[in-house]
Amino acid sequence: MKLLNKNIPARLFASAPKKTVGTWKTSFLFALLLPLFLLFGFSKANAQQDATALFQTIRQRVAQTKDYVADVRMKVDVAFMNIPLLKGMLYFKAPDKMRLERNGGVSLLPRNSINLNLYNIMAQGSVTVIDGGYESLDGKDVRVIKIVPDAAESDLVLTKAWIDESRLLVLRSESTTRDNGTIRMNLAYGKYAAQSLPDKVVFVLDLKDYKMPKGVTMDYDDGTPADLPLKGKKKKGRIEIQYLNYKINQGLSDAVFQKKE
Amino acid sequence: MWMPLLRAELYKIFKKPRTYLGFGVIAAVTLVIQLAMYANGQSFVDFVLQGIQEQFDVEGNILNGYLVTYIILNLLLAQVPLLVALVAGDALAGEAGAGTLRLLLTRPIGRTRLVLAKFTASSIYAILLLLWLAVIGLGLSLLVFGRGDMLNFTADRLIMLLSDDIFWRYLGAFGFAALALITISTLALFFSAMAANAIGPIVSTMGVIILMTIITNLELPLFQAIKPFLFTTHMVAWKGFFNEPVPYGAMLQSALIMLAYILVLLGATIFVFKRKDIQT
Repeated sequence: MKLLNKNIPARLFASAPKKTVGTWKTSFLFALLLPLFLLFGFSKANAQQDATALFQTIRQRVAQTKDYVADVRMKVDVAFMNIPLLKGMLYFKAPDKMRLERNGGVSLLPRNSINLNLYNIMAQGSVTVIDGGYESLDGKDVRVIKIVPDAAESDLVLTKAWIDESRLLVLRSESTTRDNGTIRMNLAYGKYAAQSLPDKVVFVLDLKDYKMPKGVTMDYDDGTPADLPLKGKKKKGRIEIQYLNYKINQGLSDAVFQKKE
Repeated sequence: MWMPLLRAELYKIFKKPRTYLGFGVIAAVTLVIQLAMYANGQSFVDFVLQGIQEQFDVEGNILNGYLVTYIILNLLLAQVPLLVALVAGDALAGEAGAGTLRLLLTRPIGRTRLVLAKFTASSIYAILLLLWLAVIGLGLSLLVFGRGDMLNFTADRLIMLLSDDIFWRYLGAFGFAALALITISTLALFFSAMAANAIGPIVSTMGVIILMTIITNLELPLFQAIKPFLFTTHMVAWKGFFNEPVPYGAMLQSALIMLAYILVLLGATIFVFKRKDIQT
């Protein structure tokens, strides 16, 4: 202990002449790097501001569509379902009402997931926007932003959006939810790009496996080997909706969305 | 000579009260199922859809005439063979029991021709039962529950068939069911050729159906090797019409196996009956 106490001042003393040179070097480096740090910090803050502004601009455009009726074709590609191409009318009313009407036929929409349309991702409540830089999407540089809803009770935890800055359009979104897994949307635009309404949306979503006891079902075993049981495990489902035309802001009543048995 | 013989056989079948028992049973069971579906069908639909409705919103007239008919056929087509056996089992043995077989064979019709006439008449009866089931099952169900897309629930898949893509499937299914019932009818006729009263062939046919159905439904390795050769395994192949895509290969194989049963049993019936010493 004594030896240690003796050594400390000695070491300090020994390094004293070098201190002047070290301070000068540090000051020089600091002077050199400070503008770079400031520049980087400023550009980062600026990018953050840009991302928020970009989000707000797109949000305003998306929010202009209060409701729509669209003639749609829906292709369901889910391992435990065999569904033909469904034709019908898709009704939407902001913020979260959606219904597929199939002229008397049976309609099928993913519960909650399909409501994750652009309106729900972009135009709901207070959010925090985080800049995610640029990424290449289908050979095109797109801006990436992350949107975190401020409301703690929101099912939506985080949405990552890939944005075409020149056209102000969301080309892809990936939303992480509390109860419905991760839902990815790929959007393609055409005639209704000005309203941020896509011509085609492809949803890729997490789905739980479906199994029913054989006694309840009315199976016919044709000898085809069954899929390996994945009970409880999540599988990916793909739903493609093609919008043939839109009728926008018609003032749809809530009665349209009443569930019919 | 053939048509009068067939007409006579049909007349004999339709003059017996037991013939109408089958039509009555089909009507009663069908009406009970339709009534149950009308009263509590939604609970049934909710129960079978619960795995799907966790993840999907399913909306529309799910409990429509097509689905109700499918439920009826599933419950009833396993029992109709017993009704067919009541008539076909009586065809030759009934005559022997009543003491009319010897008299019948004194006419110049030949034993082979008589067996073929009995076989054809029994087959017509089976087809008429199915037509009745089609009218009261499909027709009445469509009238009461309406048309719509059909959801077919299997153990690991939900199959949706569009409304305008279903009727032909029912035609195919009824055609296939007819083949299955004719197989049963031929089996009962075979037992009938060996007996002197109708009870034996009817009970024997029912016994064979019950035994084979149990073996078909038991998922035991011991039975796996023989299952493909049992006609009860193939009798349910009509359901293949409600799969998508329709497994035509497997269904054709099932149809050929049942056809082979019919030909072999019919041949055996003729063989046995031609050598039979008819004493009554």
